[in-house]
Amino acid sequence: MKILAIESSCDKTSVSIIEDGEKEISTVVLSQMDTHASYGGVVPEIASRMHIENITLVIEECLTKANMTMNDIDAVAVTYGPGLIGSLLIGVEAAKTLALIHNKPLIPVHHIAGHIYANNLVKRLEFPLLALIVSGGHTDIVLMEKDYSFKRIGGTLDDAVGECYDKVARVLNIPYPGGPLVDKYAHEGSDTYDLPLPLNDDSYSFSFSGIKSAVINLAHNEEQRGNEIRVKDLACSFQNRVVEILTKKTMKALKEYNVKNLIVAGGVAANKGLRERLEVLCNENDINLTVPVIKYCTDNAAMIGAAAYFAYKNGAIADTSLTAKATDTLK
Amino acid sequence: MKYLFIDTCTSHLVVSIIIDNKIVSYYNEKIDKGMSNYILPEIEKQLKDNNLEASCIDAIFVSNGPGSFTGIRVGLTISKVYAWSLKIKVIPISSLEVLASTNTNGNNLALMDARRGYVFLGGYDKDLNPLINDSYVLFNKDEYKDYNFISYDEFENKIEPNIDILKVINKHKNDSGINPHALNPNYLKLTEAEEKLNDKRS
Repeated sequence: MKILAIESSCDKTSVSIIEDGEKEISTVVLSQMDTHASYGGVVPEIASRMHIENITLVIEECLTKANMTMNDIDAVAVTYGPGLIGSLLIGVEAAKTLALIHNKPLIPVHHIAGHIYANNLVKRLEFPLLALIVSGGHTDIVLMEKDYSFKRIGGTLDDAVGECYDKVARVLNIPYPGGPLVDKYAHEGSDTYDLPLPLNDDSYSFSFSGIKSAVINLAHNEEQRGNEIRVKDLACSFQNRVVEILTKKTMKALKEYNVKNLIVAGGVAANKGLRERLEVLCNENDINLTVPVIKYCTDNAAMIGAAAYFAYKNGAIADTSLTAKATDTLK
Repeated sequence: MKYLFIDTCTSHLVVSIIIDNKIVSYYNEKIDKGMSNYILPEIEKQLKDNNLEASCIDAIFVSNGPGSFTGIRVGLTISKVYAWSLKIKVIPISSLEVLASTNTNGNNLALMDARRGYVFLGGYDKDLNPLINDSYVLFNKDEYKDYNFISYDEFENKIEPNIDILKVINKHKNDSGINPHALNPNYLKLTEAEEKLNDKRS
């Protein structure tokens, strides 16, 4: 079954054709990052304007790359949420129109389900599994006992981890998007700053607003005292705390739920510090770890096409009344 | 010829199918929220009611702004994908011209409230020839004394729109149309972020 999938939930216009949830036929990702960088972050109205300008060009390029027409496609899939409402709408209206005019089934896909199924493009998911989802908008631990069945067992109470990285980067005068550079600096610096381990308790909840404030206050105080901030050391101290709490709670959940498969998903899955620490811990504890290749970590339609196949087998079909949702719980 | 007409730029959603210069189905309703919940189901319904395949449409007439940013994009995304995918002609029309198609005894000034005293406006004669180009301006009603004000929004002595889509279509049916990839909104206004960035740079 060949599915044409569309993803437009934030600042990437992406279209992909995926066969049977695991074989990538072609993918096109158009990133708006350079435009938003001038504003220090994603501007929703500008994102929406760029999505509509590019949507048909991206669909066309994807079909051309695959040497296919809509006649070769069995179904159309789309990210309906969560995300920026104006951005989501472009993808949703485009997908609904394609499905209507070509008489194809329409499959609605949750953005986070997409991030999880990015791993299915690397290696067939094995159940039960735990998924650690870390991105600019999400920090969740999800238990899956079978395909397209999700049970959220924990997550952030405030900022998402990627959001926290971007804010810390801004304080350290690291240009947007700051996450990858904080990660790079963390590897070059030493853990010399005294920062708290955020929400270090027995729950599966995370909280990153405290450590964000701690970094802001520390930078401010050092400045007041006329001390130079050692950016690389602060990046290292910050990243070590974040990675420690993420991995600590994830390993605890694996033990408690007696699960041997861990997958990591979302933009922060590209973080080297997190990947390296998880590799060590999973080796020690005999856990099968799957992390997506870097190109599948950030938003893309390939992961939506992969998830869509399993959503479809699970009976998820929408009609032309499908609406975009800014917030929506993964169920 | 079979035409699809779409206008999502104002508070009213308009969808219509026109066959050989006759309106065979017509929807024009005030939508408070969620234009996107209604438009494609309505297009689907009208195609079905008239026993038409989507590919039977010869041309799409769509208003491309100004108006609600999100609203404009809903109608245009559908038109863009529809026209590109089925290689159908698509003709963009000003949403102000559509408002100005309301039949009156003189020249019309189509108006949309754009907040903080600003409006989107366009002046047209009874044959829809433009007299005042569509623009985003601080509104001073005394400058437009010779015009009938046409608007869904609150303006003194305004006339409620009663659009004449056949007049609009007849005016534009011989237009050459536009490459669907290049069919984009005519916002007439930068985003706030762009305005601020420009202020900072100048």
